[in-house]
Amino acid sequence: MPGPLHHAAPSPWQALLLAVLLGAFVTLAGCEKAPPERAGTGFAGLGESTAGFVQADADTPLRFPEDHGAHPDTRIEWWYLTANLEDEAGEPMGLQWTLFRQALVPPAERPAPTPWAADQLWMGHMAVSRGERHAVAERFARSHSAAPSRGNTSQAGAEASPFRAWLDDWELASAVTEAAGDTFEHLTLTAFEGEGEARLGYRLTLTAEGPLVRHGDNGFSQKAADGQGSHYYSQPFYRVEGEVTLAGETHRVSGRGWLDREWSSQLLSPDQAGWDWFSLHLDDGRRLMAFRLRGGGADDGDYRSGSWIAPDGTTRPLGPQALTMTPLATSPVAGREVPTRWRLAVPGEGLELVVEAPHAERWMTTTVPYWEGEVVARDPRSGERLGGGYLEMTGY
Amino acid sequence: MTTLLATLLSHYRRHPAQLAMLLLGLWVASALWSGVQAINASAKESYARAEALFTTGLDRLERLDGGPLTRDDFLALRRQGLPVSPLLEGELTAPDGTRLTLIGIDPLTLPGDSAFATAGDTTELTGFLTPPWQTRLAPDTLPALGLDAGSAPGATPELAAGRLPPLSLAPSLPPHTLVMDIAAAAALLDAGERVSRLVTASGALAGAPPGLALTRATTLVSPGQLTQSFHLNLTALALLALIVGLFIVQASLGLALEQRLGMLRTLRAIGVSGRALVAGLALELVLLGIVGALAGIAGGVWLARALLPDVAATLGSLYGAGVGVELRLPWHYWVGGLAVTLGGLLLAGAGVLWRAARLSVLDLGRAQAWRAGHLRQLRRMALTGAGVAALGLALWAWLARQPAGEGLAAGFALMAALLLMGALWLPPLLAVSLAGLGRLARRRPLAQWALADLELQLPRLSLALMALLIALSASLGVNSMVGGFRLTFLEWLDQRLVADLYLDPPAERFAAVHAWLGERPEVAERLVTRHGESTLLAVDAEATSRPVSLFGLTPGERLTPTWPLLATRAGREAAWAALREGDAFINEQLAVAEEIAPGDRLTLATPDGRATLAVAAVYPDYGNPRGEVLLAAPALGARFAAPADSVGIVLAPGADAEALGAALADEFALGRDALRDQGEVKRIATGIFERTFTITRALNALTLAVAALALLASLLAQAAERRRHLAPLWALGVPRRRLLGIQLAQLGGTALAVGLVAVPLGIAITWGLVAVINVAAFGWRLPLHLFPGEVALTLATAMAVALAAAALPTLRLWRTPPRALLAEEAG
Repeated sequence: MPGPLHHAAPSPWQALLLAVLLGAFVTLAGCEKAPPERAGTGFAGLGESTAGFVQADADTPLRFPEDHGAHPDTRIEWWYLTANLEDEAGEPMGLQWTLFRQALVPPAERPAPTPWAADQLWMGHMAVSRGERHAVAERFARSHSAAPSRGNTSQAGAEASPFRAWLDDWELASAVTEAAGDTFEHLTLTAFEGEGEARLGYRLTLTAEGPLVRHGDNGFSQKAADGQGSHYYSQPFYRVEGEVTLAGETHRVSGRGWLDREWSSQLLSPDQAGWDWFSLHLDDGRRLMAFRLRGGGADDGDYRSGSWIAPDGTTRPLGPQALTMTPLATSPVAGREVPTRWRLAVPGEGLELVVEAPHAERWMTTTVPYWEGEVVARDPRSGERLGGGYLEMTGY
Repeated sequence: MTTLLATLLSHYRRHPAQLAMLLLGLWVASALWSGVQAINASAKESYARAEALFTTGLDRLERLDGGPLTRDDFLALRRQGLPVSPLLEGELTAPDGTRLTLIGIDPLTLPGDSAFATAGDTTELTGFLTPPWQTRLAPDTLPALGLDAGSAPGATPELAAGRLPPLSLAPSLPPHTLVMDIAAAAALLDAGERVSRLVTASGALAGAPPGLALTRATTLVSPGQLTQSFHLNLTALALLALIVGLFIVQASLGLALEQRLGMLRTLRAIGVSGRALVAGLALELVLLGIVGALAGIAGGVWLARALLPDVAATLGSLYGAGVGVELRLPWHYWVGGLAVTLGGLLLAGAGVLWRAARLSVLDLGRAQAWRAGHLRQLRRMALTGAGVAALGLALWAWLARQPAGEGLAAGFALMAALLLMGALWLPPLLAVSLAGLGRLARRRPLAQWALADLELQLPRLSLALMALLIALSASLGVNSMVGGFRLTFLEWLDQRLVADLYLDPPAERFAAVHAWLGERPEVAERLVTRHGESTLLAVDAEATSRPVSLFGLTPGERLTPTWPLLATRAGREAAWAALREGDAFINEQLAVAEEIAPGDRLTLATPDGRATLAVAAVYPDYGNPRGEVLLAAPALGARFAAPADSVGIVLAPGADAEALGAALADEFALGRDALRDQGEVKRIATGIFERTFTITRALNALTLAVAALALLASLLAQAAERRRHLAPLWALGVPRRRLLGIQLAQLGGTALAVGLVAVPLGIAITWGLVAVINVAAFGWRLPLHLFPGEVALTLATAMAVALAAAALPTLRLWRTPPRALLAEEAG
């Protein structure tokens, strides 16, 4: 779920980074330059041609722990954590931490690994929210996939075992000591930014209370009717404990977390403009992942997909027909109209929810801006709270 | 109105030379002014680009021990969460010998939005970050690479260091600067893991991390600040040229009015209102002004193009400020040039309009009436001159009470008052001298006639003569100042450059080289120098905040006897002893700026806090724009953690410098430029100095040329009338040869008189330049040197200018058949 493409008035710097995301591949393949924003490459260039990269396909099974680490031969990848927390006073808090990786060149065109030469671009996003307040930080780094990435020889990277994904001092690392356990079962997350009043960040422990979940076809998640897709698995069962700092104030928190892992060389069809993505923890212990890719679908122009996850981790993939997602109301955010109230239904499970963002001001003011925030799921008739989670919306 | 204007302008059809002169005056005046303004505008634009570059405005981190920072340092600091970004800076030599600054950046960590706004716009970051990478450069860097804007994008020029990544134009970059990804820069500079420094957003770090020195962006002086006084000097010279040019214009305009008096009266008599007449004349002025100003601006641009390479070289060598040699002019330059010329023209023409407005229809224009008017005018001039002199005195008195080093503008005003006073007093002075000479020549009719005739010519010539006086005295003043500076500077160089060889080893090998030199028998002394930066926090107890450079030297036997000192606390010997003990010397610039005297105590910022030092002496430091504190090198190293950067080698008697250089090169594989001999250093320094004044001299010569033109204009304008005066004499039997001789003697004598007045005035200007302007602008005072050669040259120039200007009218007269002389008289 990388960021969206819509940008109001980007600074030149933003425009450049956007240009990377958009034009990375085309330029390098020696074709003519890509204009910063052009039709037909999907959101943030994620639908661009991917010649030279390893393609995600349903025939490649997931392998652990290797797949926890980076896949530099694919074009894009992320480690995406969201958490719904409560502080000591019972006030809800939300947090996001994401490490994005983007290959700058296909494997065959990598530069020689001289000290600063790079073939991978890393982008870290951090966000903390509480009530109306929403604070965001962003960082960038480069690395070379042929350089030894152990220890501190790289500014950013992701290693499989023991798991460690980092950018500068922002780090998501495994705290598993016994060799038998999955490295994702116990993680620590540390990230801080800013000083004094502007300080935000967190120091958390994540403990998995269920198994890893493979989406789609045993971990291959189709993203368009023509078969484009990604490798996609999650750990949606984290219990989160620790400290979160917002506006210089530190709160003790606990709650539930959801970690997504996804990598691909062409995530979208060229005509897909963005997506709406939900991760919901229902209070009865079940989980729902559902997304809608706008454009590129077979009939109504949208492509929907999801996973229905039982408390024991048993997962049932939801195809386009097994899932409906309907925006009910929008809110004005950052000069846009963003849908912040939805109806979600999984008729096969008898599930019907109204999902709403209590606070609309969750705009990620990052180089590639998007909406990412906490949501509450309710029964459409009684209005009873059934769960909570996160919503990401791109391309608005 | 059209008819009126056509009638007024018809005058110039009959007197095309007058029109030409008028336009020439306007053209020259405005060309000099706009030329200098173009240079200034262009330089300022270059500074603005340099200041907008991402490297300025950032705090920088360097290692305390002077060693190189590496990629590991960068990674370690990032792992601690410190927002540092690596920067690699180096020099490449273009095929034509131009030195290009290569800056390697990491755009992903470089703070601020300005990073790429200055470097480029739409090109993708990916192209910047990955092979074949990109070289961002300003279009005015292209000539050094032998390229033009058309062929440059995508070109990969081959330099000695290797092939540059494909070029991409970024006009906002400073000239002679190449920006590329740090990976590509590291390959070109063969830097490996080394970085020049780490940078961070201004104020992002509360303090320096252990082992590193943090230099705040605020303590780094921008090139714009440094070069301010240089540009002010240029502007003052241009203003001088403008004024001299406007003198010509006023002379021509006055003449044109005088000759059209008859026509104007006729016009009034046939019913043209006075108001319409003035409006017509004003319109004529504006038309002339626009034509002259446009020509002037075009000429100015041409002049600026011709001078800019020298100006750029000067600014580069004096202040290290990169200035593009290609002219880049903002829109306000054009408007400003037009406005100044038109304004000047209207000022010069105001008198003419005023007189036209008060024109009496009946009065007849007669030379004698003029003469009476002239006497009144002389009295007014003398009085105004006295007023200006009083103003000058008041300014001087005020300046004397100002703290030294301040009042640059007042200093220029004082110079202007001096010049104006001289100019205003010149015509009365000449008139009085003529009257006196006339009495002496009572028994020589021809001489008496010549003097009386000259007196009659004076009103017409006086403006041109005033212009000549101003140009001559300014030229004498500036040349004496330059000559004095040259003498002082060369002497100072001799005193300061005492070592035979100067060596700049790379920082990481300094210790090894130093130790090796210590074991060589041919090395008598090693004079290590160190450089650093600090902020002066207080003088005695008084708080201040001024960035200063720190200079550490080794007070060795060869150095202390000759090193020049301006003031000491207790004599030279004691001063050097105090320096060895840890006291400081300061340069004259700092002493002037902060009013520090030997014995005062300075508080300076150090990496660990602050240090208080006693001042033992003040030394001259010509050409350095900044305040400097000098310490013994070991003390500077210990207290300010300043790295050692060069070593002066004093050779033992009879030692072979060549052999030592070769051995050094063998042992440490040092490049050719690491070792310099004394003669070479002196040659470089002198070269810098010579360039500094190239522009000054060029502008001076141009101003003199303008003055000569003014004189020529006046002489040509009155040539026809002169013939009428000479004809009766010829008819009385005075041979033509004699008449011509008289005419030349009249002018030559007048010019000599002007030259004689110019000498004391020029000396006064010299004094003003060295004692007031120089101290205020640069912070150091020069001894006043007078050069008899310059004085003689001034007198000779005056004569030459006058005679050259007289040559054409005289030649014309020579060729006039006697019949024509009579015909004129008859007509």
